[in-house]
Amino acid sequence: MGTENPNRPNYPLRPAATPFAAQQSTTPFLPSGPVVGSEASAFRPAPPASSQFPTPPFPTGPFVGSEAPAFRPPPSSRSNDLVRPPPSYGSPASGFQRFPTPPLTSTGQVPPPRTSLAGQAVIPPPTRPSPGPVSLLSQPQPPSVPMGTPPQSIKTGQSNPNVPLPADQHFSPSTPNSQPSSPPMGPSYAAPRGTFQPAFPGYTNTQPNSVAQAPPTQPASFPLQQGSYAPPSATPFLAQQRGYVPGPPTSTPSGLYSGNQVQQHGIAPPIATSQTLAEDFSSLSLGSVPGSFDAGLDAAALPRPLDGDVEPKSFTEMYPMNCSSRFLRLTTSGIPNSQSLASRWHLPLGAVVCPLAEAPAGEEVPVINFATTGIIRCRRCRTYVNPYVSFTDNGRKWRCNICSLLNDVPSEYFAHMDATGRRVDLDQRPELTKGSVEFIAPAEYMVRPPMPPLYFFLIDVSISAVQSGMLEVIAQTIRSCLDSLPGSTRTQIGFITYDSTIHFYNMKSSLTQPQMMVVSDLDDIFVPLPDDLLVNLSESRSVVEAFLDSLPSMFQENMNLESAFGPALKAAFMVMSQLGGKLLIFQNALPSLGVGRLRLRGDDTRVYGTDKEHMLRVPEDPFYKQMAADFTKYQIAVNVYAFSDKYTDIASLGTLAKYTGGQVYYYPSFQSSIHKDKLRHELARDLTRETAWEAVMRIRCGKGVRFTSYHGNFMLRSTDLLALPAVDCDKAYAAQLSLEETLLTTQTVYFQVALLYTSSSGERRIRVHTAAAPVVADLGEMYRLADTGAIISLFSRLAIEKTLSSKLEDARNAVQLRIVKALREYRNLYAVQHRLSGRMIYPESLKFLPLYGLALCKSTPLRGGYADAQPDERCAAGYTMMALPVKNLLKLLYPDLVRVDDYLVKMSAQAEELDNITKRLPLTAQSLDTRGLYILDDGFRFVIWFGRSISPDIMRILLGEDFVTDYSKVSLSQRDNEMSRKLMKLLDRFRESDPSYYQLCHLVRQGEQPREGFVLLTNLVEDQIGGANGYADWMMLLFRQIQQNA
Amino acid sequence: MVKLTMIARVTDGLPLVEGLDDGRDVPDADFYKQQVKALFKNLSRGQNEPSRMSLETGPYIFHYIIEGRVCYLTMCDRAYPKKLAFQYLEDLKNEFERVYGNQIETAGRPYAFIKFDTFMQKTKKLYQDTRTQRNIAKLNDELYEVHQIMTRNVQEVLGVGEKLDQVSQMSSRLTSESRIYADKAKDLNRQALIRKWAPVAVVLGVVFLLLWVRNKFW
Repeated sequence: MGTENPNRPNYPLRPAATPFAAQQSTTPFLPSGPVVGSEASAFRPAPPASSQFPTPPFPTGPFVGSEAPAFRPPPSSRSNDLVRPPPSYGSPASGFQRFPTPPLTSTGQVPPPRTSLAGQAVIPPPTRPSPGPVSLLSQPQPPSVPMGTPPQSIKTGQSNPNVPLPADQHFSPSTPNSQPSSPPMGPSYAAPRGTFQPAFPGYTNTQPNSVAQAPPTQPASFPLQQGSYAPPSATPFLAQQRGYVPGPPTSTPSGLYSGNQVQQHGIAPPIATSQTLAEDFSSLSLGSVPGSFDAGLDAAALPRPLDGDVEPKSFTEMYPMNCSSRFLRLTTSGIPNSQSLASRWHLPLGAVVCPLAEAPAGEEVPVINFATTGIIRCRRCRTYVNPYVSFTDNGRKWRCNICSLLNDVPSEYFAHMDATGRRVDLDQRPELTKGSVEFIAPAEYMVRPPMPPLYFFLIDVSISAVQSGMLEVIAQTIRSCLDSLPGSTRTQIGFITYDSTIHFYNMKSSLTQPQMMVVSDLDDIFVPLPDDLLVNLSESRSVVEAFLDSLPSMFQENMNLESAFGPALKAAFMVMSQLGGKLLIFQNALPSLGVGRLRLRGDDTRVYGTDKEHMLRVPEDPFYKQMAADFTKYQIAVNVYAFSDKYTDIASLGTLAKYTGGQVYYYPSFQSSIHKDKLRHELARDLTRETAWEAVMRIRCGKGVRFTSYHGNFMLRSTDLLALPAVDCDKAYAAQLSLEETLLTTQTVYFQVALLYTSSSGERRIRVHTAAAPVVADLGEMYRLADTGAIISLFSRLAIEKTLSSKLEDARNAVQLRIVKALREYRNLYAVQHRLSGRMIYPESLKFLPLYGLALCKSTPLRGGYADAQPDERCAAGYTMMALPVKNLLKLLYPDLVRVDDYLVKMSAQAEELDNITKRLPLTAQSLDTRGLYILDDGFRFVIWFGRSISPDIMRILLGEDFVTDYSKVSLSQRDNEMSRKLMKLLDRFRESDPSYYQLCHLVRQGEQPREGFVLLTNLVEDQIGGANGYADWMMLLFRQIQQNA
Repeated sequence: MVKLTMIARVTDGLPLVEGLDDGRDVPDADFYKQQVKALFKNLSRGQNEPSRMSLETGPYIFHYIIEGRVCYLTMCDRAYPKKLAFQYLEDLKNEFERVYGNQIETAGRPYAFIKFDTFMQKTKKLYQDTRTQRNIAKLNDELYEVHQIMTRNVQEVLGVGEKLDQVSQMSSRLTSESRIYADKAKDLNRQALIRKWAPVAVVLGVVFLLLWVRNKFW
């Protein structure tokens, strides 16, 4: 669309000339139109024949449209009839097309284009709905000569030799414009786009070469979209229509599509005779004017993250020595160079850090021991030596990359420089080549000798714990994990149980049976024994085993209803405070006795919607926060397991986990027969995963930027030091960044995450992740380098924190507002020149942002009002999401939905087939076929949905004879037949992909209310649920808000 | 009562093992730990210390033995029998040498043998109560003689280096001052000489002058 420039002018013109003008004006798409215009000029000759006034213009429109998938509109109108392929068109029409980046056309191609321009112009017209051209002509775009346009594109293309073309010259000025314009067109082309321009169909000729490329890609994408969405949803047509503004013109386009689909869609994009378009962006044609019929956009065309979390790649390629994105993800890899620029970036600016993320085999973090040298750090800012420091003065000095101070190289660390200025020993120094390393800490980094792994269990043994079977399950699980606890012979273990009294257990190794001591004075807690409440596991192994074996039976007859949780907590603290470690709390009821007693609250519906609503989500009793502070001080991490079917005030209990780097596990209405596997798996993982003890973490960054706030489960020890009594691979922390100086003068900003911790083997280590990010002066570049996953992760933490101080509604609105602001800013950036009135544009990198934003608003912590989620559930989910790594969070927000009945029915089960069937579907009820069997996997549970008209055979085979009964009671277990085995294998496979939580199966049958709604439908985030918007409505809403004050 | 136990390499003062819940009932355990570390540093500077020694510090007393370039140190109440404390250290030493004897020189990081802590805790418990049969038997064992082990104050030991510095400083000041004194003395000597003979010289001069005058005019 080198034509872009021309387009604009054209636009206005067009309308005038063509009847369409009016339409166009209405339609947002026009932008593309303009392009067309240029084309049109070329086409003119051809058009005359076919076109009636209206049609012709459209065609051009269509072209444009083609580029911008959004445009379809034009095609829709009458054209449909005329054009044969409309249907097909429809499919392509999907609002979004992604143009895979069309590779730049090779230079070779270029030449043809020139000639072709003219020729092509002609040709294409015919193929397409020829009519178009004429109209185009009418449009005043004269300036943009067809020829010219192509060249431009070429120019932009850079590589293309064509550039020389006169056209180029003309356009050259325009080129910049072209970029912008192009963007609109290719919604998704983003990256690639740069290269191609939205060529008009006509122009495309040049692109033929490119066409080939482009077409394939596009088509591919299309089918997908269609396939998945289209069927259920309205026919493609509808989509088109909506998309297209009322504008009638459309006819031709459809033809084009059908005929040249490739070209058109692809066209613009692929054809892309390379354009300089640097921006990648995508657009979505929206119904345009408010009030226009239905949603105004094609639901099937909306972008969906069906590939899960896609980490931005370009960034890691730019700085190959950066640590992996597993460890550190920036919300945008382009750091703004000025505060004014930063203030225009309405999304959070910051990072999500997962310092201990599990590395795949072969990529383990190298461990380095400097021994006598001492760790090399900057004198001033204490940065650790990393791949980005530079050595000068023949290797005698090194310059810190963060504060640029010149440091001396200790003589033991000295190495000569080779001719290129690299140290000769570079390949033996992983700390100078790898972004992630681990240093062995010398004695200065220890305030005490490395602590042993320590697990202390605080177990509720009141009647509900016994009856639900919780006690038995945890006793068995702990016993089975004794061998795999980290720390080999040093591991320490201890137990306290409590109901209305507190029971201590002496597990001295010389005993054969543990001795139980009961303390019933809850007001003045004391520890009955100085030693032996906390014992070395390897020495007291037999006693511990004896204890765990007898634990369930010991309290079998316990009828005690009370829970002296607070005093028990204090007792545990007294026992553990000497060493620190991990405290696992198993709580079954509302704490009812002694200090820290809590009362029933949260069942008062009247509170919702008032200013006091958030009080339900913050701890009621300051006791818990105080305890949490003490725990952190003594290096104790608290994990809370809550089981009650009644209100247990997770908001208060969870505080313990929040400030101690712990985690909240919530099993509402725990029944061992149902939840056994889940608890067993998660507890076992908690006990056996690699854990870092008594850790502190600090994130350093270069001059001019500063981390201002941190979000996650930890305690802030000083302004920037996170105290983490225990860390593991399932915890992530987010931080927000701000600019300290008005203008950054450096080219690059460096970040360094340092986690000082004690490993389970008793080594004190420092894990250091270093990353570099470019400083950019352009907002568009920031958008291009944005990372949706990290943004959403920060967003969700901010939103959850906001629910603690204001209404749910406000938190949701805040999310929405920020998305709107960001997209509006983006729109201002590009739309002004291009009259994108009816289109919503957004950067390619953020194409899933609105959807995730919507999913976030519908997630458990933020959803609806009083009735939509239990307060406990809300708080538990909130605490969990505060600690979740990016990948898990995205999966939770937009779960995987796959259809499996075909796979199950087929007899052969090869591995590759397995991959095939795991094609994810959009989360809308329309994806569900009544004859199908679907699995929804959000990383925390499976929902297995049986369609209403699914074959009874399948059900019998999978569920046995009792399939007619209540599904909530049926548990899925392996049966002796092929299909059942396959299903179980499949589920296991899903589970293996992320072992951090265990997905329990919830079976639900279509139409089984209210369970279906509760279990499954709330997860279909694209549908309208209760008062919340559906995806399409949401987009319209965003779009309208973006338009306001735009 | 054994309060605190630490094992370190003498060559560079690198701590190898430290009891974990040590110092639980000592109010300012950190202060004593610092003292122990300073002591290790002192030892690593190669001053020739006896291989067995007791050092008093506040209400407690350090006992240590150095063997095979490893220093085993414990802190006890003053009332705790010295004999038992050294037996305790001997036990630790034997076990430590047996298990880690060959790795001591190669240990590259602090607390490399922290696992030994488990054994230490166990042994410590055996010595906790001085009235057990076992410990009484040990106390009565005449074979193990500890009387000749020197007892000093920790300040003395930690202060040894300091005092030497002071002495050398003082002596150097002394030399420089004595030199000044010598100069001044010489000066005074000369002045005294002048003062002593000046009148005589004057009288003689006058006499000679008179004689000369008389000869000339008479």
